[in-house]
Amino acid sequence: MSLSQVEAADTALEHPEEASAGLTRDAFRRLRRNPLAIVGASLITVFVLVALFAPLLAPYDPVASDLTDIRPGQFPGPSREHLLGLDEQGRDELSRLIYGARYSLLIGVVSTAMGATVGLLLGLLAGAFGGWVDSLVMRAMDVMLAVPGLLLAIGVAALLGRSITSIMIAVAVVNVPVFARLLRSSMLVQGRSDYVLSTRSLGVKRRKIVLGHVLPNSLAPVIVQATLVLATAIVEAAGLAYLGLGSEDPRIPEWGRMLAVTNAYLSSEPLLALWPGLAIVLSVLGFYLLGEALREALDPKLRR
Amino acid sequence: MRHRPAAAVGLLALSASLLAACGGDDSGSEGGGGAAGGTLVFGASADPVSLDGAYTSDGESARVQRQIFETLVTTAPGGTEIEPLLATEYTPSDDGLAWTFTLRDGVQFHDGTPMDAAAVCFNFDRWYNFSGVQQSSSVSYYWQTVFSGYAQNEDPELPQSLYASCEAPDATTAVINLTSPSSSFLAGLALPAFSIASPKALEEFGADDVSGTGETPSFDGTFGTTDAVGTGPFRLESNEPGTSVVLVRNEDYWGEKARLERLIFQPIADGPARRQALEAGQIQGYDLVDPADLGALESGGFQLLERPAFNVGYLAFNTAKPPLDNPKVRQAVAHALNRQALVDAQYPPGSEVAKEFMPPELFGYAEDVPEYPYDVERAKQLLAESGVANPTIEFFYPTDVSRPYMPNPEANFQAFTSDLEAAGFTVTPRSAPWNPEYLDTVQSGGASMYLLGWTGDFGDPDNFVGTFFRTQQAAWGPLAPEIYSQLEAARTEGDLEARTAAYEEANRTIMEFLPGVPYVHTSPSLAFAPNVSGYEPSPVGLEEFASVSLG
Repeated sequence: MSLSQVEAADTALEHPEEASAGLTRDAFRRLRRNPLAIVGASLITVFVLVALFAPLLAPYDPVASDLTDIRPGQFPGPSREHLLGLDEQGRDELSRLIYGARYSLLIGVVSTAMGATVGLLLGLLAGAFGGWVDSLVMRAMDVMLAVPGLLLAIGVAALLGRSITSIMIAVAVVNVPVFARLLRSSMLVQGRSDYVLSTRSLGVKRRKIVLGHVLPNSLAPVIVQATLVLATAIVEAAGLAYLGLGSEDPRIPEWGRMLAVTNAYLSSEPLLALWPGLAIVLSVLGFYLLGEALREALDPKLRR
Repeated sequence: MRHRPAAAVGLLALSASLLAACGGDDSGSEGGGGAAGGTLVFGASADPVSLDGAYTSDGESARVQRQIFETLVTTAPGGTEIEPLLATEYTPSDDGLAWTFTLRDGVQFHDGTPMDAAAVCFNFDRWYNFSGVQQSSSVSYYWQTVFSGYAQNEDPELPQSLYASCEAPDATTAVINLTSPSSSFLAGLALPAFSIASPKALEEFGADDVSGTGETPSFDGTFGTTDAVGTGPFRLESNEPGTSVVLVRNEDYWGEKARLERLIFQPIADGPARRQALEAGQIQGYDLVDPADLGALESGGFQLLERPAFNVGYLAFNTAKPPLDNPKVRQAVAHALNRQALVDAQYPPGSEVAKEFMPPELFGYAEDVPEYPYDVERAKQLLAESGVANPTIEFFYPTDVSRPYMPNPEANFQAFTSDLEAAGFTVTPRSAPWNPEYLDTVQSGGASMYLLGWTGDFGDPDNFVGTFFRTQQAAWGPLAPEIYSQLEAARTEGDLEARTAAYEEANRTIMEFLPGVPYVHTSPSLAFAPNVSGYEPSPVGLEEFASVSLG
C-alpha cells in the first residue's frame, strides 16, 4: 500500500464521498498509463464519431438500390469512387458501414442502459431489503440465467416480432440478471464493511445508509460490467440480425444483417463479408479493452 | 464415419466411369451408330419420392418416371404443344364431354402384358377411386389439379370430379367421359402423374397400399420403390434411396430404342457438390445450375443448356386495399419499377422481363398487351392524377425461400422499394416466413402488395392465367368482371385456334386492368459433360433420355 492509499483509506472513514473521488482520480491515472486502455478508448472514440457524423462522412446514400452495374454473383469491387466496392444492391459498401455504426452504437447503448436500469433496480431491491425479497428476486434471476443468453434473446426477439426495438429489448433482457446479481453481491460486501457498521452505530437511517453510502460504493464493478456488456450487446444484436430477427426493412445498414447477406456471395465476393465482420470486431474490441482496463484500475486486488 | 459416404460415392463414380468407358469401346468396335451404348450418370438434387407418378408432384420424381413410363399424350420436344404418345389420335365429342383415344397397337409393358384400352381404363379408374391418404392433395396433387375430385370425396370441400368414366369398346379405343367440357385436361394428361402402368404390376406390387398421413405418406407396397412397370424406353433395374436409381435400356421398346445402355440417377443434395461431381467426371449432367457457377463451368468446357422459361415472377396487387383500388396508382407502380435492371442483376442470363402473366412459349400469349415501361416521370404524373396524396403501401416479401422465379425475394424487395420511393411512394416493409405464414397471409387477402410467382405444371394457359384470375380470389381482390368471363369461356373452348385467340384477348384485358406487375420469366440452366449429346430441355421439365448419347 502506498502512502496516498493509506491516506485515502483514512479519509474514507470520515468522508466516504471524498474518498471515492480520490479513488476515481486514482483509477483514472492508472487507466491512462495502460496502453490497452488507450487503444480501446481510441477505437470507441472513432466508432462514436463515425456514428454521430455518419451523414457528413458517408459519400453515398446507404439505402437506395442502384442495380446498373450489378450482375448475378458479381459486384464491382473496390475502386476510386467506391473504396470498399458495391454490395449486392449496388450500394456503396463504405457508406453502409458508416451508417451501420449508428445502429450498432444505438442498439448497444440503449440495450445496455435498459438492461442496467432494470437490473440495478432489482439488485437494489434485493440488496437493500434482503430476506424474502432477496430470495424472490434472485431466484427469478437464476431462472433467467439458466436459459442460455442467445437462446433467451432469440426467444424474446421472436416473440416481439421483427424490429430494431425488439432486438434492443431482447439484448436488454439477457443482461438484466447480470446487473442485478452484480449489484446485490457488491452491496452485500459493502453492507458488512466497517464504515457501514460505524455509520449505523451513529444512528444514521437505513435508507440514507443504503442510498448514500452502500449504493455509490457498490457501483464501480457495475460500471466495468456495463462497458463489457456494451461489447457483448453489439455482438448479440449483430447475431440476432444475422439470424433474421432484425428489422423487416432489409435495406437498413445493420452490420449483422450485412454479414448475413454476404453468405450467398462468399465464393465470388469474399471481401464483402470481411468489412462488416471487421467493423463488429473492432467496435467490440474497443469496449472490451476499455472494460478490462477499467476493471484492473478499479480492482484493488489487481493493483501493482 | 464421415469418410464412408464419400468413399462409397467415389467407388460408384469409378464403376460408372469404367462402365462408360466400356460402353464407348463397344460402340467403337461395332462401328454402328457411332455413339450407341454407354452409361450416363445424372446428378439429381434428391431421391425420387416414388416412381409411381400418381403419388408425386416434384421434378426429381417426374424426371425418372418419364423414362420408365409413358402417357397417352406428351409435349413436343423442347415445347409445350401436345403430341401423340401411347395414343395416336384423340378427338373430343361435339359436346366436349367424351374424348376418344386411339391407342398405339402392339405396345407391351415391361412385364410382357399388353398395353390396351382395358389397361388405360384400369389406370384411370384406379386414380378416380383413390381413398383415404391417397386423396390428400399432397399425395395425388396432379389428379386434383386436373380432375378436381374423386369417386367418393372424403373431404366435403373437394369439388365434383371432372372425370366421369372410362370405356374400352375395343382393344385400341379408350373413351374418357367428363362431367363438364374441358380443353385444359388434355395438356394435363402429358404429366408423368398420368403414366399408364401395368395393371398386373400395380396389383401384384401393392401400388394402392398407402398409410400414414397426407404430409408424410408411407408407401407400403413395392410398386414405385423397387418395382415400376411401364412401357417406356428404359426399365427399372434397381432403386436404392440415397445411392442411385439404375435404369437399363428396354430392348423391346415399340419405338426407336434408347441409345444409352444404362441411365443412373444419383442424388447429390448439395448444389456446389453437384458442380464438383460434374467437374470430377463423377456425373455427366445436372439440373438447376447456380447462375454464379455458369462462368466457371463454361470456361471448363462444359455444355450449358437453357431450359425455356416456363414461369412468371410478379408483383401482385390486392385491389380490395386502397390505394391499390385506384387504377392510376397501379399504373404508377408499374411505371416506377425498373424491371430490366432487376432481371439483369439478379437472374441468370437468358431470363427476360415479363409483360404478361404467362410465358411466351405458351399458346395464347399476346404480343400486343398494354405495356408499362420504366418511366419515373410518368409514374409521378399518374400519381398526381390519381388524387391520392402521400400514397403509402404495405409491401410484403417472403423470407427463407428461393424459387426459380424469385431466387432472392429480399433482393427484389429492396430494388422495387428503392424504385417506388424514387417515384414518391412511401413503402412499409412487411415480411414473413414463406411457408405457411406468408402464403397464408397472401391467400387470405391480408397482403396489399406482395411478391409471388408461378412455375407451370403443364402446357395450358389455364394453368397460368386461369389459376390466377378465372375465379375471384381474396389474394387479388375484385377484378374487372370481363376477366372472369373471358377466362372461363377460353377454358371450355374446344377449337385450338379459337382458344388461342380467346386467351390472347384475355391477356390484353388482364394487362389493361393491371392486377399486378409481371416482371420476369427465368430460364434455369442444365450442365452436361462435353461428350453428351441429344438432350433437349423441355420448358415443363419433361425430358427424354432415350435420344441422349455419349460421343
